[in-house]
Amino acid sequence: MGMTNNTLNKENTQKKILIATIISFAFFIGYDFLYLQPQQELAKQTQQKEAQALKQQSEQTPLVSQIAGEANSSAANNAPSVHANNANEIISTIKTKTSNIEIDSFGRIAQITLTTHRFQNEQHNAIKLFTPSQLKPLEVRFFDAKVNEEAFKIKAQASSKVLDASSEPVKLTITQTLSTTTLTKDLTIYPDGHYDLDIATSNKQNYFITPGFRPDVLADVYADHGSLLIKNDGTLNIVEDEDLDSNAEFVGIHAASAFDRYYATVLYNFDKNLQVTLMSNKDKSPEAFIHIMNNAKLSGYVGPKDYNALNALDEKLTSVIEYGWFTFIAKPMFSMLQYIYNYVGNWGWTIVILTILVKLILLPLSHKGMVSMNRLKELAPKIKAIQEKYSDDKQKASMHMMELYKSEGANPMGGCLPIILQIPVFFAIYRVLINAIELKGSEWILWINDLSEMDPYYVLPILMGVTMYVQQRITPSQIQDEMQQKIFQWLPVVFTVFFLWFPAGLTLYWFINNLVTVSQQYYVNKIFAKEKIARHEKHLATKHTNEK
Amino acid sequence: MNRIFLSIINFYQKYISIISHGSCRYHPTCSEYAKINFQFNNTFYALYFTLIRILSCNKLFEGGFDYPKVKYKINNVIFKKIKIKFWLIPINNDKYYVIKNWDRNRQNIK
Repeated sequence: MGMTNNTLNKENTQKKILIATIISFAFFIGYDFLYLQPQQELAKQTQQKEAQALKQQSEQTPLVSQIAGEANSSAANNAPSVHANNANEIISTIKTKTSNIEIDSFGRIAQITLTTHRFQNEQHNAIKLFTPSQLKPLEVRFFDAKVNEEAFKIKAQASSKVLDASSEPVKLTITQTLSTTTLTKDLTIYPDGHYDLDIATSNKQNYFITPGFRPDVLADVYADHGSLLIKNDGTLNIVEDEDLDSNAEFVGIHAASAFDRYYATVLYNFDKNLQVTLMSNKDKSPEAFIHIMNNAKLSGYVGPKDYNALNALDEKLTSVIEYGWFTFIAKPMFSMLQYIYNYVGNWGWTIVILTILVKLILLPLSHKGMVSMNRLKELAPKIKAIQEKYSDDKQKASMHMMELYKSEGANPMGGCLPIILQIPVFFAIYRVLINAIELKGSEWILWINDLSEMDPYYVLPILMGVTMYVQQRITPSQIQDEMQQKIFQWLPVVFTVFFLWFPAGLTLYWFINNLVTVSQQYYVNKIFAKEKIARHEKHLATKHTNEK
Repeated sequence: MNRIFLSIINFYQKYISIISHGSCRYHPTCSEYAKINFQFNNTFYALYFTLIRILSCNKLFEGGFDYPKVKYKINNVIFKKIKIKFWLIPINNDKYYVIKNWDRNRQNIK
């Protein structure tokens, strides 16, 4: 009776395991097809719609700012809620080495177009960073509601219509003359695309300036996007989009940034403590506003979160590149990649070399493991006997196995630490490969021409699956449970499907990782087989002499 | 606090350990060790011992039998038939090794 009960229980747990695997598998596929893809399409559609609506709007009379009717209760409530996105008249265009900057009649950066070849979208058009309807960098809002209302009606004047900053810095002055005050923005724009800003009003005024809403090129669930503040102690405050329920005030801020996966807009001054309000917009996404009294000096950057470019401006500015939870491992990981890249000059090979390096460091550990795993093969019958005897009690079986290992002097288990360590390392690599703009548009060999995108012909994921299968085949297995073994056999297939849509760089990492493991295992197996033959011959020889 | 950790460990044992199955070099396994620690010790000690255990669960260490050591004061001793959950093996003073009684849920035991 007890026996049947146990077998029943076992079948149940096996069923549970199988069902759990299938459900999670189905979930991920379903999520990708039913949620992610439609969402991306929807985003595209709304963007088009917004652009159309905007066109119609600008043909009609200028929008009256909604702020007029609002009570002037607090600065925070006063400042936002104006979306003066009409009247998009461009008053100045600046060409830098890497981009075209357009300034509109509200004295804001209306659009930035990245002109280098690397930054082209799938249709081979130059990438534009901003969505027309969103808050723009350098938009100013006055504390005084009346002044503010006027500021959104009166157009600003630029000192020059066309400027070329592609070889040396240029100066541009934007002036907005209101009835009570005059707002001047003195801009120095540098060839690398960053700018210095001297902002002042002719009389005492409280107002806000914003780095704008985040660039909207690639904002998906794979990486964070939202607002990031660098505090004066170097720590970060990150608010993701659709996560800000109410406005929040911050003091002692050195930089305010808004970012998507690859691009960021940032206003900073590392010598001064700024006061910043994060406003929740209609989607509950954060918009940063820097408080200014009368005048201020700031610097700004809008463009790709390129490590070297940011580092050249200010080392602290590199914090704008963030990798989420695993930043503490991801950052050194990236520095290592960058270091190798400086020698190799190709990101694909850089990943290959890094993977092999990591494997080499772990070689002593893994080698020992493989050898003892092989020794275990010889103990297989004894282990099977134990597992059959205590098939209903895992802990008891493990105890008797441990006794066996002790008497044989071989402990084949890899240990919990390597497995636990692997998890953050994998996530760190994942985040680096997904977040690093350096990999965007960088090719490896043959058909892989963008390591940050999926493999267009699914070659790498399939290679990865194959190596994983081979690895399983040549690794002596100690899983005796049939159902578990079956699940294990299906793992390569599951992984292949997972990796089909992953960035090619990550799949490459996993593939090389498997490849090294397989060759190492092959080598160990061969040596072990040789040793076995040698031992056997020695045994025969001694037997022979004994017989004599 | 300990309850939170215990529920995390239970979740791990139920769902995640399938992937990492059979890799622990110790008996009882790291997760079981942690569980007992969080049941007997205060959070700080339990965390410390668990961390040390996981850190030493790799190829550089022997592995083998390693039972959790706990501090425990035995009071209110009731002399009657009970269900045995743990065996406490005294080391010294109030310190004990804890060995879980794996057969505790079996009815046909004598």
